[in-house]
Amino acid sequence: MSLLEVDRINSFYGDSHILFDVSLRVEQGEVIALLGRNGAGKSTTLNTLIGLVAAQSGSIRLDGQEVRGAKPHVVARAGMQLVPEERRIFGSLNVEENLVLAGLTAKPAWPIERAWEMFPRLKERRASRGTDLSGGEQQMLAIARALVREPKLLLLDEPFEGLAPIIVRDLLGVCQRLAAAGQTIIIVEQNVAAALSIASRAYILNNGHVVFDGTSAELKQTPAILSRHLGV
Amino acid sequence: MSTSSRPFAWRAEAILALVLIIAPFVLPLIGGSADTLSRILIWGLFGLGFDLIFGFTGLLSFGQSVFYGSGGFIASYLLVSQSVGNVFVALVIGMAGAAVIGLVIGLLALRRSGIYFAMITVAFGEMFFFLENSALYPWTGGENGLPNVPKPRLFGFIFDSPWSLYGLLAVLFFIGYVIARRIVASPFGHVLTAIRDNPLRARAVGHDIQRYKLAVFVVAAAYAGISGGLEATLQGYMSPEAFTFETSGQLVIQTVIGGAGTLLGPLVGAALWLYLRNELQSALGLGAAWKLVLGVVFVVLIVFLRRGIIGGVSDLWTRFRPVPAAPPAPLYANPIATPTAPPTRHRQMPTDGIAIEAKGVGKRYGGIVANDGIDFAVRAGEIRGLIGPNGAGKSTFFKMLTGEVQPSAGKIFMFGEEITGLDVTAVCQKGIAKSYQINQLFQKLTVRRNLMISALSRTRGPFRLDLMANVDRMRELNADVTETLRLLDLTARADTPVSELAYGEKRRIEIGLALGTDPAILLLDEPLAGMSPSERADTVKLLRQIAVGRTLVVVEHDMDALFNMADRITVLQEGRVLAEGTPAEIQASQAVQDAYLGGIRAP
Amino acid sequence: MLNWGNFVSQLFNGLVSGALLALISAGLTIVYGTLGVLNLAHGALFMLGGYAGFVAYQATGNFLIAVVVGTLFVGLVGVVFERAIVRFFYDRPEEDQILVTFGAGIVLVELVRWGFGSLSQMVPAPAFGSPIINLGFVIYPQYRLIAFGIVVVALAALYLLLYRTRLGMVVRAGIEDAPMVDMLGINIQRTFMLVFGIGAMAAGFAGIINAPIIAITPNVGDDILIQCFVVVVIGGVGSFPGAVIGGIVAGEIMSITSMFNPSYSAVMLYAVMTLVLITRPQGLFGTR
Repeated sequence: MSLLEVDRINSFYGDSHILFDVSLRVEQGEVIALLGRNGAGKSTTLNTLIGLVAAQSGSIRLDGQEVRGAKPHVVARAGMQLVPEERRIFGSLNVEENLVLAGLTAKPAWPIERAWEMFPRLKERRASRGTDLSGGEQQMLAIARALVREPKLLLLDEPFEGLAPIIVRDLLGVCQRLAAAGQTIIIVEQNVAAALSIASRAYILNNGHVVFDGTSAELKQTPAILSRHLGV
Repeated sequence: MSTSSRPFAWRAEAILALVLIIAPFVLPLIGGSADTLSRILIWGLFGLGFDLIFGFTGLLSFGQSVFYGSGGFIASYLLVSQSVGNVFVALVIGMAGAAVIGLVIGLLALRRSGIYFAMITVAFGEMFFFLENSALYPWTGGENGLPNVPKPRLFGFIFDSPWSLYGLLAVLFFIGYVIARRIVASPFGHVLTAIRDNPLRARAVGHDIQRYKLAVFVVAAAYAGISGGLEATLQGYMSPEAFTFETSGQLVIQTVIGGAGTLLGPLVGAALWLYLRNELQSALGLGAAWKLVLGVVFVVLIVFLRRGIIGGVSDLWTRFRPVPAAPPAPLYANPIATPTAPPTRHRQMPTDGIAIEAKGVGKRYGGIVANDGIDFAVRAGEIRGLIGPNGAGKSTFFKMLTGEVQPSAGKIFMFGEEITGLDVTAVCQKGIAKSYQINQLFQKLTVRRNLMISALSRTRGPFRLDLMANVDRMRELNADVTETLRLLDLTARADTPVSELAYGEKRRIEIGLALGTDPAILLLDEPLAGMSPSERADTVKLLRQIAVGRTLVVVEHDMDALFNMADRITVLQEGRVLAEGTPAEIQASQAVQDAYLGGIRAP
Repeated sequence: MLNWGNFVSQLFNGLVSGALLALISAGLTIVYGTLGVLNLAHGALFMLGGYAGFVAYQATGNFLIAVVVGTLFVGLVGVVFERAIVRFFYDRPEEDQILVTFGAGIVLVELVRWGFGSLSQMVPAPAFGSPIINLGFVIYPQYRLIAFGIVVVALAALYLLLYRTRLGMVVRAGIEDAPMVDMLGINIQRTFMLVFGIGAMAAGFAGIINAPIIAITPNVGDDILIQCFVVVVIGGVGSFPGAVIGGIVAGEIMSITSMFNPSYSAVMLYAVMTLVLITRPQGLFGTR
């Protein structure tokens, strides 16, 4: 049984049909890349998995448990965590409070020292308010906040967007360490190279349909596939 | 309430006249006195104006007591101090005074909307109450009010019997109702309903909504002013109660109970309120709990029957009346045919030259640079595609072209004329319109009415006070709307409320709203978003037809569709222009491929 | 010719009423900030606190019990109201939210009028010795000083709740981004209910504390509600410090103005509110 089994979900924004019978599967310990152009439905897929958007049909099973239609807090408690594209850290709370808040309802929660260990930069800024952090620091906080809950499945929505290359490199290192430690991850990224450097498999979405389901190796060997679906 | 496109129907007026004539004979049998009926009519008149601002325009004011009291006290003071002898003249002066106060308060209060607007109206209501009680008490009598207000007199006849007063008020209410109906049926009235439904879009299709709101606010103040005066002459006494928050609150409750947006809702609500208070208290043994009953009814209605009594009855009626089966019109069952003649164009625009141009345009938000140094020029008649990876700044750039956002740097030109700094309404009037990525429709209006709203701004400019015109009689307007319906293949659905349409049909109206302003330049923000493959094909066909004689700029992520349609493509990346050329040139560009793929080579 | 004794007395009155207003407004602003709903029944909840306390006092003769009962009862009413009605309105237009809370407020007021009549009721001030205190240049009612002390303690407690407890952290995060809180495994609907309850309790508590100062009538909450609007507007939506500062400022504006012309005190307040709404609608500390 795969850790995540998504079977033919259809998602709408209002009555705009965004996802058409999207299916995917993620095994324990895998890192999967979800690629595609803007408007392809990548973020919608993650938002549907976490329950922000209710899929109208299909099924989403996390570790055997059906979570389609469940409210986000239920899905979170089942073991899924989303790091949203806009990061959405709490600006009025400080770094430490952001992390403590995340752990409030987590059964095995990270002791805060573990977060400081993984993100020493955040420890330096532990008392700073969210609004005072730089873009890279906010992204780190958003990821740390998700990790505090020891999620079975971590969803990353465009974690490298808008960040300087050197920060992207640091974050990539964090992701690599997480992957090496066995964290299951789905990463949505427009920076294909970065995504494929940590993902073993990839799905490509185009206009709400899954158009490719294969290994990163395949994609790297056949650049025509990427040009076809992501390029112009 | 008149959403039909039939010529101005007199049915409602006839029924009302009948009811008003019969009431004095029927209602006393169940305990209605002339005085009660008269007061109901006054509240109904007060409510006609309120329904115009609340039911039709969506402005929830808790401060109408200001105008009711002002009109009443002005008229009363003139009469009691014997500065004016004729009651009708005093009433009119009171009404005019209330209207002027409405103008002043409207200018201040309408700067905000929603809860803030409501709170400002409450504040003014309270301020006027205190003014009446203290500062102006030599004129208003303070907490005692003004007694000895005379009865009206016409050609020697004095209206001093209860039933003669009822007759007078019935006539006045009828006149007030006819006027309100005319306003609702007018182009002005239609714009009001658009404002209630989607103020953002109403502005974007070329209407100066602030002036519309102010105008209808003044009208409501006038209705309130004359009602206040009528209450004073009815009871021979101008009471300071007119200025209380209770008065404003009672008006709101009555309107919601009776049904907002129906014009007669306030009358029905007032009948219920006054009847319960005066007649049924003793009959049902309710005593002082009559207000509790009304409060509970009010809450229950808001929760379950938001459209009030009249709305509920009307819904029941439509449910049981056999509806002629509208053809279900499955998506694109009738594939869009090629038109035999080019669409009628009203706007005189050059057919060559540079249609729209941006020079050095940039936008900063604090430290964040959304757009930087963009040079962009589209020839007349061209279809230009605008693409770019996430965060490229496409939507910000689009918003600057429409005037929704002002550039931090650079200039924008339309056919050589500078349009930098114009707001979205002005830009639309000039001839640039946008269709939105997420539908921005007038949900409660029919398809036909939606398209009418756009067309109205083209024929009438950003604002016109045509309260008495009839929109159904505007031939050119209706011809244009019919033509647009045909182009969009929505003729069969013309009188369906937009909320009931399928997604693909809604997307077409979305384009239609922009098209209805007869733009020279049409901006389309992801027109194919959320569509199935067959819907995309049909929409592309539609866009090709629309493009005839116009300039199009299209943002899209569906590369296949866009590259087939566009003459040239501009690529944005990180707020700047990365490349521009024909579709073939762009596809061949390595730089563009890299931008989209984030560099397939390692970072 | 300024009478110093009178001036100080009025200044202090402004502080007392301002602190009370701050407490009630804090309740209103927290609810508005977190749930996005402006509760027009808030004044009625204040009134209800006074009556619930009154009933408890009649039954037990103990003022402390009256305060506890008043507060808890209103908290319960708030929670029931939120669960039964308000939560169905989160997705409905703003106007509908205003209307339903307005209606509920009227229902509460009329229920109380039906049960107790319109005449005012008195809850006698708890006596800890002499009912007045002689401060030398002014003689001041003792209970007002006590009430002030109690309200300050309550405000401090509310502050601690918001800024030093986990629940408070959740509330503050919820004011900023409720769906994100939900994504972190915290049932935001349950939080909304708690927030509404806390807001209601603040109003109810203020209602019973205020009862010995101003006799309670079914309509005692009407003016309070409007004054709370002013405070929330001036201080900023969703801001606790804003409510406190706004409350004190409002209290003082009314007090000082009433020294010169009593009937202008409220007008002054509304004029200030209108000014703020037009020029800086987010208020001093608000973020919306």
